[in-house]
Amino acid sequence: MPKALVKIPLPEAAVSPAPAAVRPPLPAGLIEQLLSAAMSRGGEFAEVYLERAITTAVTLDERRIKSAQTGMIQGVGVRVISGAKVGYAYSDDLDRAALIRAAHTAALIAEGGGAERSFKVSREPTPLFYRVTTPLSEVDVGRKAQLVRRADRAAHAYDSRIKQVTATYVDQTKHIWVANTIGRFAQDTQDLCRLGVQVVAQGKDGERRTGFYGGGGRLSFSYFDTFTPEVVGREAARQAIATLGAAEAKAGTQTVVLAPGWSGILLHEAVGHGLEADFIRKKTSLFAGKLGQPVASEKVTVIDDGTVANSRGSINVDDEGTPGERKVLIERGVLKGYMFDSLSAKLMGERSTGSGRRESFRHMPMPRMTNTYLAPGDDAPEDILRSVKRGLYCAQFGGGQVDISNGNFVFEVSEAYEIENGRLGRPVKGATLIGVGPEALKNVSMVGSDPTPDPGLGTCGKDGQNVPVGVGLPTVRIDNMTVGGTKV
Amino acid sequence: MDYRDLAKKLVHRAKKKGAREAEAFLEIGRQSSCRVREGEIEDLTEATSKGVGLRVISNQRLGFAYTSNFDPDTLNQFVDRALQLAQAAAPNRLNGLPSPKDLAHRSEAGELFDPEVASLPSDWKIKASLEIERAGKAVDPRITTFDSVGAGDSVSEVVVATSGGLVDAYSGTYAFLYAVPVASDGTQLQTSYWVDYKRLFKDLDPPEEVGRQAALRALRMLGAKKVRSRRVPVVFDPLIAASFVDSIASAANGDAVFKKSSFLAKLLNQRIGAEHLSIVDDGLLPRGLGTAPFDGEGVPTRKTAIIENGVLRNFLYDSFTARKAKAHTTGNASRSYNALPSIGTNNLYLAPGAKTPESLIREVDQGFYVTAMLGRGADIVTGQYSRGANGLWIEKGELSYPVQEVTVAGDLLQMLQQLDAVGSDLQFRGSTGAPTIRFAELTVAGD
Repeated sequence: MPKALVKIPLPEAAVSPAPAAVRPPLPAGLIEQLLSAAMSRGGEFAEVYLERAITTAVTLDERRIKSAQTGMIQGVGVRVISGAKVGYAYSDDLDRAALIRAAHTAALIAEGGGAERSFKVSREPTPLFYRVTTPLSEVDVGRKAQLVRRADRAAHAYDSRIKQVTATYVDQTKHIWVANTIGRFAQDTQDLCRLGVQVVAQGKDGERRTGFYGGGGRLSFSYFDTFTPEVVGREAARQAIATLGAAEAKAGTQTVVLAPGWSGILLHEAVGHGLEADFIRKKTSLFAGKLGQPVASEKVTVIDDGTVANSRGSINVDDEGTPGERKVLIERGVLKGYMFDSLSAKLMGERSTGSGRRESFRHMPMPRMTNTYLAPGDDAPEDILRSVKRGLYCAQFGGGQVDISNGNFVFEVSEAYEIENGRLGRPVKGATLIGVGPEALKNVSMVGSDPTPDPGLGTCGKDGQNVPVGVGLPTVRIDNMTVGGTKV
Repeated sequence: MDYRDLAKKLVHRAKKKGAREAEAFLEIGRQSSCRVREGEIEDLTEATSKGVGLRVISNQRLGFAYTSNFDPDTLNQFVDRALQLAQAAAPNRLNGLPSPKDLAHRSEAGELFDPEVASLPSDWKIKASLEIERAGKAVDPRITTFDSVGAGDSVSEVVVATSGGLVDAYSGTYAFLYAVPVASDGTQLQTSYWVDYKRLFKDLDPPEEVGRQAALRALRMLGAKKVRSRRVPVVFDPLIAASFVDSIASAANGDAVFKKSSFLAKLLNQRIGAEHLSIVDDGLLPRGLGTAPFDGEGVPTRKTAIIENGVLRNFLYDSFTARKAKAHTTGNASRSYNALPSIGTNNLYLAPGAKTPESLIREVDQGFYVTAMLGRGADIVTGQYSRGANGLWIEKGELSYPVQEVTVAGDLLQMLQQLDAVGSDLQFRGSTGAPTIRFAELTVAGD
């Protein structure tokens, strides 16, 4: 089995005590005044979301640091809910007049009268699923530059056929404050880092293959002492070299075995999005109305868990101030639950599952995944491979996409091998897996005992909003999967 | 606030603090949008936004910082921060802003700003969205719901100032309409979308038309099934053709070409397609959504033929990559204030041919008409193309039954050679446009 060179080290454990609260960059009392202004037309709920995010990035290209950059955005989003209607206004100007104006604009969604009332909010203790010793924004940029240099050297040193290396380190320290008219006031500091390396290898006759690897999470910078840039650079290089000389993928139905880890994007696409409550409420998802029904093979248990220690998709509180949660979505093949933000929960008579997320103050929250994974099964990974006479082993993946109405999803396989008589054969290029979510999950015939999180790479896009997510999967066998390729 | 003055001040401060060259790029704007559901407002959003990015070059090193906070102390710190960051980067004698020669001959971009869009009453978008929804539902009772239906408008101003003395600005507007309906026949759900984005209000499609088109596209997919794997002629509708054109343009990115990370890298001035194949990027296309007088580093935009009558003619460059590749900038530095310039397209399109889209289909005995795709699919390094596809099966020149859960795959270079017919129906649903196109043979993978 082409083991990835990497064993992902366990992240540092979540520890208490909670860090001191970070004060919002607004004068005392202004948040409460904004809530009053937002409710001045008689809305039933208002919320103020304040954000300050500092991002640093270092990019290496063509063997030198191309640029080092940093940026800060801050702003406030005010949301007013009146029945099923939502008014939203945001401003990156933190000036009192500008913010009051935004609150009054959002208030216009409610058409009733109503006078200004006063609201009090009190800070609630938040859980702590990630703690970072020094905010990433305070780590010297020179150390960040060192990471990409080392990754570049390691990738080039792996094989002389590695011709291009692009390495990027990005981190963000984001503070959020959420206050609402129910009296909740939550604050969270969300650090997030990621090192990524992309390589191009050149083989015979000008053949070119690419490799990509990287990782990170809500972690201290010292994480890269164990998840070293050398590991990242070599793994990216290994993928590109391993697929040189790959044969064209054969198109048609095949048995596929998915390597553990990042292949969890299959779950994210095949079922995850379809279980987000906005799609359920609007009846645009093929999973609407299927609660309690079998939607997958009995071997399939799918969990979305915002509480995984230090994972990229984890949240102490969501962007509505609701604490992160672990939710069982599918249990032994039966649909158990959806992911709710507060608005979907209210309109459907449910409670929020801490799934209300947004890209920034410029966006309204909506139901989103956090870390989505398949619970491990009983099968030894070697047995899964051995059980397949002819098929495709999918070792590494690009991205994926889903149409939540007809359930069609694709995901791109960047490193794949033919399976012949239970053993790996030659590498295959250009394979894309396509299926209909519930059908593919009904065809899951073996689930490995090797639960594996992805290394911390994922960003999920929905309605133009990107949020960091985690995925995870043990080794899995899926029968009758359609493999798109060029060879008939 | 006078944003030209602010831009100049930031550049001046950077110079004073030791930058050899500096450039400030500002974006200021306001946006509003709305969505409706079941004849009622679902949400209304109103916003103002602003931000500035500062690029400095000091000792041949590049530093970059951005901020959305314009208070004077923050701005001062931010200039210092950009200079500090430059020290972490490697010196490169190619670093620098566009040359005075590159910045000369300012372009005239025509109408970008429509006073009508800028002064639309705030309820226009509600009325328009309601009309879209009504028209979509009226098409057929099997249109059961919408993922979303909405409309909106945007007004923005871009200002650039450089240490070389350039100060330039433009304002632009756009308005948009969209619908994402869901059709249901009791067993299957199918969705589709239709959208229009235009700088001028009078160019925007009527809302009913957006609703109707979206509904028809979703409805005709009901009952979709897989087909058996085979190689057949494949027709892309204009929406899908536009995404194919985007893939080709990213392979013409001068940086990818310089690094030999593009399948087009070695093919300049060679024939890669038939006479009827021309792909053009035009930053000055009248009323184009991607039209602007200058690019993300102040360089005048222009019209650049990437492929002209089947021959690969030009790659796209910003000024840094052009210096590296010993080429000239083509005015294709694309950016927003929070990022460094990178090579992108302005208004990109595949030039229309003479045949009607119907005749492209009529000439096919058995084939696949693609109307939706899933996945990124195109790898410009290797030239591999493989995407999930939905659409309609063509039988004896007629669209017959809907198809889903298949992939369409090929090799991008071979696809260009296989592109055997171009329709006359060029349309833009954004800043990339294309007509209906046909490939002589691609692999469709299903059962």
